[in-house]
Amino acid sequence: MKTFWAFARQHFHASTIYHFDFWLRVSSILILMYGTRWLWITLYTQRPGAFGVSLQQMVTYAILSMAIQNLFFTGPPYYMAQQVRSGAIDVDLLKPLDFHFHMLARSTGEMLFRVIVIALPAMLAGYFLFDLQLPATWQTGFLFVVALLLGYLVQFHLEFLLGTVAIITLEIHSIDWAFHATSRFFSGQFVPLWLFPGMLGTLAAVLPFRSIFFTPLSIYIGALSGSAITQALRFQLIWLIILLIISRWLWGRVQLRIISQGG
Amino acid sequence: MIQVEHLTKEYKRVLRREGFLGSVRTLFSAQYETIPAVNDISFRIDEGELVGYIGPNGAGKSTSIKMLCGILVPTSGQIEVNGLIPHKERMKNARQIGAVFGQKTQLWWDVPVIESLRLFRDIYKVPEAQYKHNLNMFNDLLDLHEFQNTPVRQLSLGQRLRADMAAALLHNPRLLFLDEPMIGVDVVAKERLRTFIKEINRDQKVTILLTTHDMTDIEKVCSRIMIIDHGRIVYDGSLEQIRAQYGKQRTLVVEFEEEVQDFSAPNAELKKSEGKKKWFEFNRFETSPSTLIADISSRYPILDLAVEEPEIEEIVRTIYQRKPEVFGTEAK
Repeated sequence: MKTFWAFARQHFHASTIYHFDFWLRVSSILILMYGTRWLWITLYTQRPGAFGVSLQQMVTYAILSMAIQNLFFTGPPYYMAQQVRSGAIDVDLLKPLDFHFHMLARSTGEMLFRVIVIALPAMLAGYFLFDLQLPATWQTGFLFVVALLLGYLVQFHLEFLLGTVAIITLEIHSIDWAFHATSRFFSGQFVPLWLFPGMLGTLAAVLPFRSIFFTPLSIYIGALSGSAITQALRFQLIWLIILLIISRWLWGRVQLRIISQGG
Repeated sequence: MIQVEHLTKEYKRVLRREGFLGSVRTLFSAQYETIPAVNDISFRIDEGELVGYIGPNGAGKSTSIKMLCGILVPTSGQIEVNGLIPHKERMKNARQIGAVFGQKTQLWWDVPVIESLRLFRDIYKVPEAQYKHNLNMFNDLLDLHEFQNTPVRQLSLGQRLRADMAAALLHNPRLLFLDEPMIGVDVVAKERLRTFIKEINRDQKVTILLTTHDMTDIEKVCSRIMIIDHGRIVYDGSLEQIRAQYGKQRTLVVEFEEEVQDFSAPNAELKKSEGKKKWFEFNRFETSPSTLIADISSRYPILDLAVEEPEIEEIVRTIYQRKPEVFGTEAK
């Protein structure tokens, strides 16, 4: 845990250097919040009752989704590809750290930093400016945080796998783009998955991406309750274990290749 | 401390075929060529030694250091670093060694130096007292406090290397690998790093393996040198020994009272002539300087004279330029 905080501290220092980046992110989140809220209000005036939940719930879902989007996409793929290409991976392997753990600590540090600096301020702004509702009970709030954390870990492992594949293919941009397009769509970042029709809905239900935005957000707004929550959390956990095993196995092979061929 | 026996590392490179069809065929059935980077080397370094490891570019220096660090697996042969096999116990080995690669930094680019050091403290689990003690030492010897709050990307090269040196030594490693740690650094900063290297070797008994292209580093810092070329160790011994073994040539510099014609002395070769000054080169095993001086002074009146030893750089150049086949028979 200390290592995670140590990496988080690094990001505080690194990001105080890039003030501009910070303001750009926060203001773009506010614009997105404003935009999506307006979009849902328009849709609800056109077809009230067509979306399964109340307008207030839907607006909360959308605004919260914008506020937390920066917690994900912490970017191990780019880091890994760059380290291997520049040969700096040697320096990473020189440290007495398991590489997978190193990446997890790095990403989590960055995530913790973004919670404090971006997500919490954005949530406060959402609460005061755009009718972001509080969770119904504190238990719901707690389950939301648990689901969010599991979702983050699923996302991290997907990205770590992507980075590992990028080392093999030596190509990152197009794979990364395709991955993020798929992930954003199937994770329910923009539209709750219950609005997906037929086949798409089924596909979204089995893919791991729904752990990322959809599960925590629908717990938060109360669209999931009781045993549905338990089921959703179990789904996240199972995917996390599967991805963890694949990540460890694949990275083991790639690392062996790096250290036997000299990067 | 370090025991290396018959260590060999071969790299596999894909042989590219020419033309488009060729590259398609390469996709399906690649042919490889093997390039030996390190070829059957053996050596031993005892605790507290400060060894200079030199050789031309591509001779295999970095490859051998990477194997000692455990980030490269040998093709064959044995390595033991303080009782551990580096590539099998990489993380355990990492705790007992420190390394500075002059070309790459271990520090985090965007954060102040002191923050990087704090992260190193957490990663290596350095106790607080030891951390403070080492930080004080770095302040004394490296003037770390002058730039500890500056982000790494804004440091000068000399400062960055000092910071890297501090990071490598923070966890009190028994062994330090320095791979071209002074490349591109100015004279003053170089001198400072040399002094620092000598001090930690002497005072803290850190065993050091240093690679460099600057023979002054070797002369000022190291007690022993190993020369590697074409993946083989071609020389391993003390500085005096290399001078005795390879430095056969001496130069006699004579200044005459008046201008004289160029002439040749017995068993010596006229190398350079500049007005009243002349340079004669001779083999010190075949000709003694006193005979040579007696011969010359019998012919012309001499104002001043001096016998010059060859520079170590000169000797090393001669060793690099010899054919690789010669090494097999002469290397011990």
